[in-house]
Amino acid sequence: MAPAKSQPSTPFASRELNGEVLLEELADLRNAQVHQKHLSDLVVGLRDLEGVRVSEASQRLKSLAANRFSGTPALASLLVRWAAKLKVEADVPLLIAHFERLAVTSAIVSAVRRASESLKGAR
Amino acid sequence: MSHPVSDETQDHLQQWPARARKLFGELMEDAGSDLQREFIQRAVAAAHTPAEVHAFADALRGMSDEEAYASCTLHDDAPDDYTVSQLLRAEADPLFAFELKGGTIEPNEEEPAPEPVPEPVKSDAPRLDALGFVLAKKKSSDSFEAPLSGAPRPKSLDWNDLPSAKPPPPKKEGPASAGGTRFLEGLLAEATSALRISWKEQDIDSPGGLSLADALASAAGALSRGIPVPCAIGPNPGDHRRFVVLMQLNTSGQSRAWQLYDPFTAELVWANEGDLLMKRELPFANKVNRRLTRIVLPQSLRAAF
Repeated sequence: MAPAKSQPSTPFASRELNGEVLLEELADLRNAQVHQKHLSDLVVGLRDLEGVRVSEASQRLKSLAANRFSGTPALASLLVRWAAKLKVEADVPLLIAHFERLAVTSAIVSAVRRASESLKGAR
Repeated sequence: MSHPVSDETQDHLQQWPARARKLFGELMEDAGSDLQREFIQRAVAAAHTPAEVHAFADALRGMSDEEAYASCTLHDDAPDDYTVSQLLRAEADPLFAFELKGGTIEPNEEEPAPEPVPEPVKSDAPRLDALGFVLAKKKSSDSFEAPLSGAPRPKSLDWNDLPSAKPPPPKKEGPASAGGTRFLEGLLAEATSALRISWKEQDIDSPGGLSLADALASAAGALSRGIPVPCAIGPNPGDHRRFVVLMQLNTSGQSRAWQLYDPFTAELVWANEGDLLMKRELPFANKVNRRLTRIVLPQSLRAAF
């Protein structure tokens, strides 16, 4: 019997996809000085992907990396890596959600760092 | 009179605090027609917060069925620039469709409620995927009852301002927290403006704030929609020492675990919900900050998510 189509592949089924994995990616992007605006642009750029076939989604991710985000190699590299991991239809919305969460988390962490100066006892 | 509620809506309602569930019952009771009740249910099933559902129900109440149907569903005339994702989500989420078509809701943030009845969060898993909840009878607007009641709902029923089981909050403009400072709200609004998220910062277990159970219930809703939730931690209510972020919620059987991230120490930890509610210790290296003291909840997720 063929596996259910709705089951995401391993990287997307990981409990840490939007935890440890996301934070590692965020740290890499931060070290590479990728701006929040690029992440927000990426979220917008990925909206059309939901519902498209895996092969097309993968192709579009690579296209985004090669064109729109060619000036931000760290982000482009991340897109290409994830494009290669897309295996089944269920992976696509999970990847979109992952990048949305990456963008929001980046904004939140940035705001938290700035706000911490207001907190007594914050380091 | 009680109205039938779908299993999916019921799943979400079980994550709401008791007062918010009571509010839901009243909103269903006050709704002008079966169509409005259906939309309210579906907004709940789509993981909107109690405040958003409340505001949505208020907006619906003044509409006829024809107006409500037109405002909350996308038809063949949907503009070409709507994405597939938007169309699918709008199909399942009438509040999303309402906003996509230009409707606005204003979750109430003004007056406190008089009688807090905090209740521990039940341990059901949050439902993540609203897209599976596709409308089965969306073409039957003619068969729904006529509107409408029109009477505005008392603001005191807004779940956003549920007080804790402490004395009533001082009635004044601005923040209710110690020191009168909302540290994060503005910064977050600025940082997430491109993503169209607005935020509300509320103390936990302080006068005028939320109970921890209520705060976690709201945070669960936000996380189920992919929005991490910033919090402050400290030794006592009102004593905010450090900001952390609630990253994920994981449910296993009857227990729920929250993943917390401290951006300053880079600690990423899992904490049992039961332990969080005990307020004795957090699993960070620094044991002084043993409880959540403040939460910043996303309020309005326009067309971004």
